[in-house]
Amino acid sequence: MDLSFTPEEERFRAELRTWLADSIPPRWRSRSFWSALGEAEAFELRRDWERRKYDAGFAGISWPREYGGRGGTSGMQAIYDEETQRAGAPHTVNALGLAFLAPTVMAIGTDEQKRDIIAPMLRNEVIWCQGFSEPGAGSDLAALRTCGVQDGDEFVVNGQKVWTTNAVYADRIFALVRTEPGSRRHNGISMLLIDMHSDGVEARPLRQMSGASEFGEVFFTDVRVKATDCLGGVGNGWATAMRLLSFERGASGIAQYTAFRRQFDEIVAVAGTFGRTGDPVLRQQLASRIVELECLRYHSMHVLTQVERGEELGAGSSLTKLQWSETHQDLWETFDDLLGPEATLTRPRPDTDLQAMHHEAMWSRSVTIWGGSSQVQRNIVAERVLGLPR
Amino acid sequence: MYFALTDEQRALGVTVRDYLEDRFDLKAVRAVFEDAEGNGHPAELWKAVGDQGWAAVLVPEEHGGLGLGLVDAQVVARAFGAGVVPGPWLPTVLAGEAVRLAGSDEQKASLLPRVAAGSLVATVALRGPAGRYDPSGVQVSADSSGRLTGSALPVEYAEVADAVVVAATEPAGGAEPAGGAEPAGGAEPEREVGLYLVDPRSPGVTVSRLDSYDGTVRTASVVLDGVGAERLPGSSTAVLTELFDRAAVLTAADLVGLARQALSRTVAYDTDRVQFGRPVGSFQALKHHLADLHVAVTMAEHAVLYAAHALDVGLADRRLAVAVAKSKAGDTAREVTATMIQYHGGIGYTWEHDSHFFYKRAKREVYSYGDPIQHRERVAALTIDTPTTSG
Repeated sequence: MDLSFTPEEERFRAELRTWLADSIPPRWRSRSFWSALGEAEAFELRRDWERRKYDAGFAGISWPREYGGRGGTSGMQAIYDEETQRAGAPHTVNALGLAFLAPTVMAIGTDEQKRDIIAPMLRNEVIWCQGFSEPGAGSDLAALRTCGVQDGDEFVVNGQKVWTTNAVYADRIFALVRTEPGSRRHNGISMLLIDMHSDGVEARPLRQMSGASEFGEVFFTDVRVKATDCLGGVGNGWATAMRLLSFERGASGIAQYTAFRRQFDEIVAVAGTFGRTGDPVLRQQLASRIVELECLRYHSMHVLTQVERGEELGAGSSLTKLQWSETHQDLWETFDDLLGPEATLTRPRPDTDLQAMHHEAMWSRSVTIWGGSSQVQRNIVAERVLGLPR
Repeated sequence: MYFALTDEQRALGVTVRDYLEDRFDLKAVRAVFEDAEGNGHPAELWKAVGDQGWAAVLVPEEHGGLGLGLVDAQVVARAFGAGVVPGPWLPTVLAGEAVRLAGSDEQKASLLPRVAAGSLVATVALRGPAGRYDPSGVQVSADSSGRLTGSALPVEYAEVADAVVVAATEPAGGAEPAGGAEPAGGAEPEREVGLYLVDPRSPGVTVSRLDSYDGTVRTASVVLDGVGAERLPGSSTAVLTELFDRAAVLTAADLVGLARQALSRTVAYDTDRVQFGRPVGSFQALKHHLADLHVAVTMAEHAVLYAAHALDVGLADRRLAVAVAKSKAGDTAREVTATMIQYHGGIGYTWEHDSHFFYKRAKREVYSYGDPIQHRERVAALTIDTPTTSG
């Protein structure tokens, strides 16, 4: 056991901490600051901060330098994940592009795609969204029906995507499209990189149960896409998508731990306000949340160890997802329990504004759905890790 | 960053597991379990413990031990848990730890080599009937001349022990004028506790077997009536707390070892067992629950590893880590072993099936050295009352 980082990694931490302290105004750390902004305004503020982060050399931490990254270690990436959360840094506006598309392009993209996609994404000049889910294809992604018919050196795309994060802000979408007419299930699918500003693309915001509109739906009507804007080969989209999703394994859970541990302290502070910190039952509940959060932290160190040793995580990433998402949900249920009859009130007292915390509590209902629902993750763990029969 | 066992630590685990598979499998466990009159201390197994150095892990090299840490010891404890193994390994190791932490040079030189060699069986009596596993639960007291009176239970393998480490409250100023005051770190404790070495054959000691559902080990009550004892001069309430933490981590390791084994056996059974024309393990009602248990066991394994390391190197959050590990391991083992019975169906409820060994051993250990409720309260005290803000 050796839980330390290298001296070089610790120097990186110190440098990053300094930059974060200088670039993040204290008022950004408060939930009410962000909830008071309009969504579009908040998006632009985050985008601008992230651009400055790129200029300061803190984008693409573990990406190779040739792609504009920092060329750092996976340990530095973990430090980055931890420190940005600790500092209350704004969330990236290009989450799906950075986490999924970019590493896939680096691995299997053409030279043109590498040149045209990665650097502009890192500078946030191009915002990406992901077009996988459809009204009839949620957990069962292979049921997707959006189709692309080849016409010369172009595809003509028709169909609909839904639950698309950043749909209304995105410049481009990486979308799974059925390009072989009549194909079924995992066959005949291609991953097309589509300009959201093309004729025939319409993005509409979807209002979530929290009231926010972080995601939306995207309609394609005779949208023309160059055949060269296909990632990983025509008809090879399923394999490309699986490869793309495998990059989720880079997510060790340390970012979630750090964020949720702060949320725990916020919840404890509210419990203090309501004089509930001495309640033995509530204390047991809060302690259970800490037990699961600490387990997530240990687990993230274990995952980082595996990544550093080049081990395949494979289906193991389903454990990470289950642990953090279920724990997040339980944490916010404890928040409800401590409020009791006040659980739905945004201002249970004149001097107590809980709106932003309630928003997080609502958001917790989504985390066990997106990115593979808990039920899908349990199937994966049961069949691929435990080896139970299908 | 290296959060994993080393190759040597892995090899140690393989050695213990291989030995148990070849020489002390569940049939052998059953023989001990069903021999209610027996002392639960198979000689051939204890000889292996001595020969292989499994009791020597935490003994310093200068006293004939391996000089390793709790991370190594938890490897052995996990393997013993997986095998629901009988015998006084844990109590002997804990008594050795008490001597290592608080004994005089003479006491160490006299006892530790014998612990390491497996030539001494020892145990610990740290808690009284219905007491807590913390200094408040001690129900033995020392008088001003160091004689002990009171009772402790359950004491593992007291019947076969050559030495017992007993926790006893002490009159203000200490039982012995020598030895020196141990500043426990600022706050004045309500009562100081010391650790004493007792020969269980001394006059005034009554050891009585406790009838227990968990036949994988033997426990007894120890009643002391003015018994002469030898104080461990470095002992204090703080040392007792440290000993409880070490005991909690090794018990948690036994629990995760047995939980992992119980889960694997259940998965194997449900893969083969056919009902309604298909393996019952193909039903999602079982699959999803088993998947959740796999996540829980994995997290408990991480927690035990972290807590062992935290105590080995003195991390700032070691008390929290111990409480997390013991509560998580306890909750998980209880659910996994109960599920083992449920998902074996009728056969799982029979005496002839091995499931009940796991269930009963877990039931005992969940409450040993602090139950999940006690450890969660400790977590609460460390995180709610003194917020360790991460920002």
